[in-house]
Amino acid sequence: MSGVYGKVTPEVVAELRQKIGDRNVVYEDRDALENYACDTAGVIFAHNPDAVVKPENAEQVSAVMETASRYRVPVTPRGAGSGLAGAAIPVKGGIVLSIEKMNRILEIDPVNRVAVVEPGVVTNDLCKAAAEKGFLYAGYPMSTETSFIGGNVGTNAGGGKVIRYGSTRRHVLGLEVVLPSGAVVQLGGKFRKDTWGYSLLQLMVGSEGTLGVITKVIVNLEPLPGRTVNLLAAYPDLDTMVSTVAKVVQSGTRVISCEFFDRFATKVTTDYVGTPLPYQDRTEAYLLIQIEGNNDDEIEAAYEKVGKICEAQGAFEVFVAESRIDSQMIWNVRQNLAEGMRAYDPYCSLSGDVVVPLSAVPSMIKTINRLAEKWRVPVGNCGHIADGNIHPLAAKPDGMPPEEWGEYAEQFFHEMIEEAVKLGGVGSGEHGVGFLKLPTLLSTKTPEERRIHRAIKLAFDPLEIMNPGKLVQGE
Amino acid sequence: MKVAVLIKQVPATENVKIDPKTGVMVREGLAVEVNPLDLHAIEEAVRIKERTPGVSVTALTMGPPAAAKAARYAVSMGCDAGVVITDRAFAGSDTLATARVLAEAVKKLGPFDLILAGERATDGETGQVGPLVAALLGVPPLTYVSGLEFGSAKVEARRAVEGGHERVSAPLPALAVVVKEINSPRLCTLSGKLRGKSAEIGVMSLADVGLPAEKTGLTGSPTRVVNVSYPKVTRECRKVSADGGGAVEAMLGFIEEVGV
Repeated sequence: MSGVYGKVTPEVVAELRQKIGDRNVVYEDRDALENYACDTAGVIFAHNPDAVVKPENAEQVSAVMETASRYRVPVTPRGAGSGLAGAAIPVKGGIVLSIEKMNRILEIDPVNRVAVVEPGVVTNDLCKAAAEKGFLYAGYPMSTETSFIGGNVGTNAGGGKVIRYGSTRRHVLGLEVVLPSGAVVQLGGKFRKDTWGYSLLQLMVGSEGTLGVITKVIVNLEPLPGRTVNLLAAYPDLDTMVSTVAKVVQSGTRVISCEFFDRFATKVTTDYVGTPLPYQDRTEAYLLIQIEGNNDDEIEAAYEKVGKICEAQGAFEVFVAESRIDSQMIWNVRQNLAEGMRAYDPYCSLSGDVVVPLSAVPSMIKTINRLAEKWRVPVGNCGHIADGNIHPLAAKPDGMPPEEWGEYAEQFFHEMIEEAVKLGGVGSGEHGVGFLKLPTLLSTKTPEERRIHRAIKLAFDPLEIMNPGKLVQGE
Repeated sequence: MKVAVLIKQVPATENVKIDPKTGVMVREGLAVEVNPLDLHAIEEAVRIKERTPGVSVTALTMGPPAAAKAARYAVSMGCDAGVVITDRAFAGSDTLATARVLAEAVKKLGPFDLILAGERATDGETGQVGPLVAALLGVPPLTYVSGLEFGSAKVEARRAVEGGHERVSAPLPALAVVVKEINSPRLCTLSGKLRGKSAEIGVMSLADVGLPAEKTGLTGSPTRVVNVSYPKVTRECRKVSADGGGAVEAMLGFIEEVGV
């Protein structure tokens, strides 16, 4: 469809207020609107919406979409705003549809081993509620304490446990979705097998709000894991660290997480959290491995086996953290890497998210560091290395004006992603495309793929009002 | 020179639950760990050993046979030896009965020049055992120690006191109860864990300690838990809506009602 988008006029706002109530519509309140202008991609990318709606249920979402369709006003769905690729930034203005009021855990169903939740539930709250009933919600983005389950589904969030449990996609069994027209569809359900036509459910996962608004999620629950132990291995160089990973994954132990962080990322983060890691002044990279076991004997056998692999591959010291306090100390560093880099440089770009086959990780890390030097960008590397997923956290070069940095960073990432694609990888493993990575996505897809993507978009959203400017080629 | 560290195995939880009927801590099904505050005492002992030639460190713990795991952990962190003092007769010991057992064990394994203990255990939260052991041994107790300098004949301590610090010294032997500010306990290395696993952990019984049975266990404990109750939450919230006006009047009425 061609043509310009409709404006959010007082007439549109009056209709929205009439449909979902005054208290759920924000308009002409600049301060309140600013809160919805950007996500964790950074304030330099902020773009104010014309209005924000906060529907309380699927019926209200449907009512909003019906109005938006009739006036052809863009609608940008928004979760917790913890996304890193700008997917929740209303780049075309219009309406931001915040799911913050749809935050109820509707059901923990032990027989079917599922939870039914509204999309605005904080992931951590779902994890806690499931744990109270003896279950694990295994989708585990690193932003688990802030992100919403709806956003996790929208970006197919990954995180630190993908090597064991898979990304969010694997845990989504059912969705209720409001389509751009306002129609409500139920996809999937409380079951785990489905060869009943194209999976629109899986198409929704990772669609970043470009196809519809998720209003209910049915997630898979796993049995709670046994006890865990964490190993922190310190390496003199990146190559030996990477050489360990495949051997650890193949070791026959139950590896839950396998994370790495390099010297620079460690330095700025431990400065930020105030707790240094042992030997960090002579460690080029740490490997953090979490393993599961049912009892003391299994735990001991597992950490001995994996620890010895680390030593044999070149770790000059391996630390074993069994207690809560030791484990929290180490994971606190891992979970604060992004905040640590932002404390070092408030403009630090966190959108780097390349994925390559594990065998190509050494080449990828070398390439990242070579490009960092070429572009004069201080980079701290970390990531879910067993997944081949690397997050280069890029700080703004000294002296560069902030207004130039956003585009510069994305050009830097563009070149990096091109190299990742040459190595058999992709440009994002879990952050998503948003608008920041859209040009790069399009340049790395074939014309045929782009055509199909666009056809899918138009099948769901012929007026192209759903989160325009994101994920797929626009009109 | 010899250093002893007194440690305790505690439930690995921040939410200790008490059985309201028996007044006894509910330990079933809980994972255990070395009392987190004792890790600072172990760390300090190992640091003294590392910077002072000829120092050996022994970790002592009283508890069930499974408490040997705590002693192994201490060896993993760098202690030279670990001892578990265990006997069914010790069951139900309060802080005084526990201190008697530990003091006698220290005498039997000693003489020690310095004895270190953590500020308190995260399960019982009394903080009494360390100073009691010092009293029973007749050695000076240094409490709330946030810094320690260990010489050949005396120990100098920095004590955390309300509003600041004070410096004190005591002749050896002495007992120091350390606070967590004194250091950051190290992570165990893999080689340390393997050393702890293969270490021969000494076992002492009531007979080895040489204490009369009536001085320990429930019979040797003057403390009796007669009742366990939880503080009643007395805060009460009342929400006053500003919709439709009248909120200020409602607040004024409330203030008058409670007589502020």
